[in-house]
Amino acid sequence: MQFSENWLKEFIDINISTEELCEQLTMLGLEVDGYEKYKSKITGDDSIIKLDITPNRGDCFSILGIAREVSALNGLKIKLPAEEKINETIESPIDVDICNESPRYIGRYVEGVDLKKKVSPLIIERLKLSDVRSIDPIVDITNYVLLETGQPLHAFDAKKIPNGLGVRLAKDKEEIELLDEQTLKLSRDCLVITDKSDPVALAGIMGGLDSGISSSTKSIYLESAFFKPEIIRGKARRYGLQTDASVRFERGVDYQLQSLAIERASQLIMNFMDCDFAPIQTFEIKKSIPKEKKISLDIQNVRKSLGVNIKDSEVKRILKSLGMKIELTKSDGKVLVCIPSWRFDISIEVDLVEEVARLIGYDKLPSSSLRSSNRKTVDSLNHNLISSLVSLGYNEVITYSFVDEKEALLFEEKDKMLFVQNPISQNMSVMRTSLLPGLLNTFSYNFNRGEESVKLFEIGSTFLKGKKIAQKEKLAGLVSGKVSDIHWCDENRAFDFFDIKGDLEVLLNQDYSFTNGKLPFLHPGKTALITTKNKEIGFVGALSPNISNSLDLKQDIYYFELSLDSLPQPHVRKYSKYSKFPIAQRDLAFLVDEQLPVSVILELAKKKAGKNLKEINLFDVYQGKGIPENKKSIAFSLFWQSMKGTLTDEEVDLIVEDISKYLSKEVKAELRSE
Amino acid sequence: MDIQSLSKKSKAILSQSDNLDSLEEAQRSLLGKSGEITSKLKELGSLPPEERKSAGKELNILKNSLQEIYQARKLELRRIEADKKLQEDSIDVSLPGRQRKKGSIHPVTQTIAEISSFFTSKGFSVASGPEAESDYYNFEALNIPADHPAKDMHDTFYLDNGDLLRTHTSPVQVRVMEENEPPLRIICPGRVYRKDSDLTHTPMFHQIEGLLIEEDASFSQLKGLLEDFISDFFGSDTDIRFRPSYFPFTEPSAEVDIKWKKGWLEILGCGMVHPNVLEMAGIDSKKFTGFAFGLGPERIAMLKHDIPDLRAFFENDIRFIKQF
Repeated sequence: MQFSENWLKEFIDINISTEELCEQLTMLGLEVDGYEKYKSKITGDDSIIKLDITPNRGDCFSILGIAREVSALNGLKIKLPAEEKINETIESPIDVDICNESPRYIGRYVEGVDLKKKVSPLIIERLKLSDVRSIDPIVDITNYVLLETGQPLHAFDAKKIPNGLGVRLAKDKEEIELLDEQTLKLSRDCLVITDKSDPVALAGIMGGLDSGISSSTKSIYLESAFFKPEIIRGKARRYGLQTDASVRFERGVDYQLQSLAIERASQLIMNFMDCDFAPIQTFEIKKSIPKEKKISLDIQNVRKSLGVNIKDSEVKRILKSLGMKIELTKSDGKVLVCIPSWRFDISIEVDLVEEVARLIGYDKLPSSSLRSSNRKTVDSLNHNLISSLVSLGYNEVITYSFVDEKEALLFEEKDKMLFVQNPISQNMSVMRTSLLPGLLNTFSYNFNRGEESVKLFEIGSTFLKGKKIAQKEKLAGLVSGKVSDIHWCDENRAFDFFDIKGDLEVLLNQDYSFTNGKLPFLHPGKTALITTKNKEIGFVGALSPNISNSLDLKQDIYYFELSLDSLPQPHVRKYSKYSKFPIAQRDLAFLVDEQLPVSVILELAKKKAGKNLKEINLFDVYQGKGIPENKKSIAFSLFWQSMKGTLTDEEVDLIVEDISKYLSKEVKAELRSE
Repeated sequence: MDIQSLSKKSKAILSQSDNLDSLEEAQRSLLGKSGEITSKLKELGSLPPEERKSAGKELNILKNSLQEIYQARKLELRRIEADKKLQEDSIDVSLPGRQRKKGSIHPVTQTIAEISSFFTSKGFSVASGPEAESDYYNFEALNIPADHPAKDMHDTFYLDNGDLLRTHTSPVQVRVMEENEPPLRIICPGRVYRKDSDLTHTPMFHQIEGLLIEEDASFSQLKGLLEDFISDFFGSDTDIRFRPSYFPFTEPSAEVDIKWKKGWLEILGCGMVHPNVLEMAGIDSKKFTGFAFGLGPERIAMLKHDIPDLRAFFENDIRFIKQF
């Protein structure tokens, strides 16, 4: 809502600067978005004030409503425009049938209008300052009264409704052609105005084309109605028809305002047009008109909830300044507060607490401390994990949770995907099933900008469709390019599988095993599934060349993805005993079948290495000269350390013998050297 | 040769040796098994007894002093040699070192961590909830019925299974209230989604929601807590303004602005939890009151780090990400 400051000041006699006025409005909860100075040829110095009105304050979508707020704060009276008696000379030929959704409908028949005339320049200027286009004198006046009072008005061409009007719910699939020349198919929850048979207006939202006024219109029927907010709500959004009327009706228009508004409009018409007016016609269904709301207020609760020391009398004064009446004070200290007809937003006690708080001023309310409480941990934010990744050289990124369908299809089947029904763009139409598409996009984005070596990670959710949506927290990393920048004395090599695997080994720091696996989007020979305690928690591998080709990626990419909930949780570390005796070491080399995974040999060796084994380190894997075909030589060091004393050579020799016998038996490993 | 000239000559040989090898050579030639001095000492026996004594004395004095000279020269030559070695060993320290690259934490994550650390110190636990939410938790349970005009403030993404992408982190507070008995203090950071994309909006962003439910929670406590937070985060000289606003799930509701480069800038929304919200989550609103607040980490990170463009957070340009 934007409006002329001078217009507001016609309603309220206040002598403060524009800046102060804006400050007051903002602190009342009518947030000023900004104001601009305007030099008016009619009223002198003026300003256009722009307000952001919250959806609860439908009553403030008008000069009158804003004036009420300012008057309450400053203890001033509202000045309404002087009423002039309308000279009623004719009778109305129009009759209106109403219904419960439209319990008050006031109309007036006016004859002899001339739409070629122009309304006063002041009206046109004020409409312009409120960003409303001047159309014809009748529409201009209805718009002016709407802005001034908050009551939407509509003018029908009386000639086009010879049988009068009706208000009713639409029939299913009933059609109407609106003023903006679009035809709507309605449903049974829409309220329409009819010519007694077919819809001629979408009540409270927009008039129909057929019944509207035009330059040839000579007589009009003015409508000033109260439509219930709940019947208007949602319809404008459904049909994409947000209008000045719908915005007000769906938030609630003062149910006592109709006659004031139609009289005001009549006066403005009378002021520049020589017309004949019929008396106003009031159609009402009394039982369906909202009743005055009465709310019981325990003033003690105002003090408690706001933490403020305020007298009963002050609370009552504030409420009265807002147009409320204090009906009676009960013996238990409670008062009954009658709510004015324009305040649709007040229905329970806390609403009144807010009114008191607003009028005291939020900035004047006291501050106090919380009851003290123990510090809580922030474990769930994955601090340890993130700092490990950072020290391993990974940069954290955050990518959108929705991805391109085409890209998503590279990693998951379509029927497992969750689609966004109303995506913001086609490349954000599927909820990601893996963090990979986002990280690949980030890789490409940076690669194309010359950042060819990256280590990236992201923590975020993935989504799979099912009976219930499976939303899983994942940690994923992507590595590509060179291990280091070009250096004057070191080799500048590219990342490979064992770089990313090494990072995972540091990160996981526990008993995790890596076994060969297959995933459709990874290189079949360079993929490992990561398991712990027989539970699969993720995978690591090289991106399949097929994927690289289809995404036009020009560099090898290594990727891992882990389920976050299966990673080690941070905990308070407990001391564990360590030996202070010397370490015994033996280096062993075996010839084994080349297909045998090294991890199998190491696991077997571990089994026989005894409880004093401290570490087992692979230091060589060799094939080639001196090694029979289909064989490989693997060499590793074993380290033992006892808690109880120094291990003797004899003890260690026995173990080594045991290991080599066992390996020979289990996997036909041949001891090469010791 | 008389002893005097022998002494002169031998001393010169030793002290003029300019490396350890020639020094050793000289030492051997004088004091070795068949060295000149050793030979002379051996020859003493052939001298007449009256000369033998004084010659023996002189020779021994000479031998001792040559030993001393030799030792001293040896030390000196060693030092010289070590110095020379160090000279040869020295490197150009201006050459670049072997750098191990350090990674970085996304500025939004950093901001969330920083904000969370303030609230956890005040007894708030971190909670989380689903991003794909039902209409009930995202709207209805928060006092936003179907067709409510307040829904217009949320441009919602709907999913093809009938759920939606949460438009705020407030659904988490409903879930926490349903599953736990008060008193409660939680914060819930997370991703939220709104169908909006321009200079100042991205279709996904983050929120941190805070909730406190206690028997006597008051608006003044809410004010006190948020004032403390802002002065902790932005500095104690930051001007703060609470002004009335509207959220369907709080009453009274407020927005909080801080003075930033001359103007007021909104940084968070808050209010007392609406009794309807408490009741729907199964909490007795006669007994318990509460307050909630929500803030946007992106906006706060932009202020704190002078970041001009919101969209940079999700472009993930390494040159941007690395700066933090």
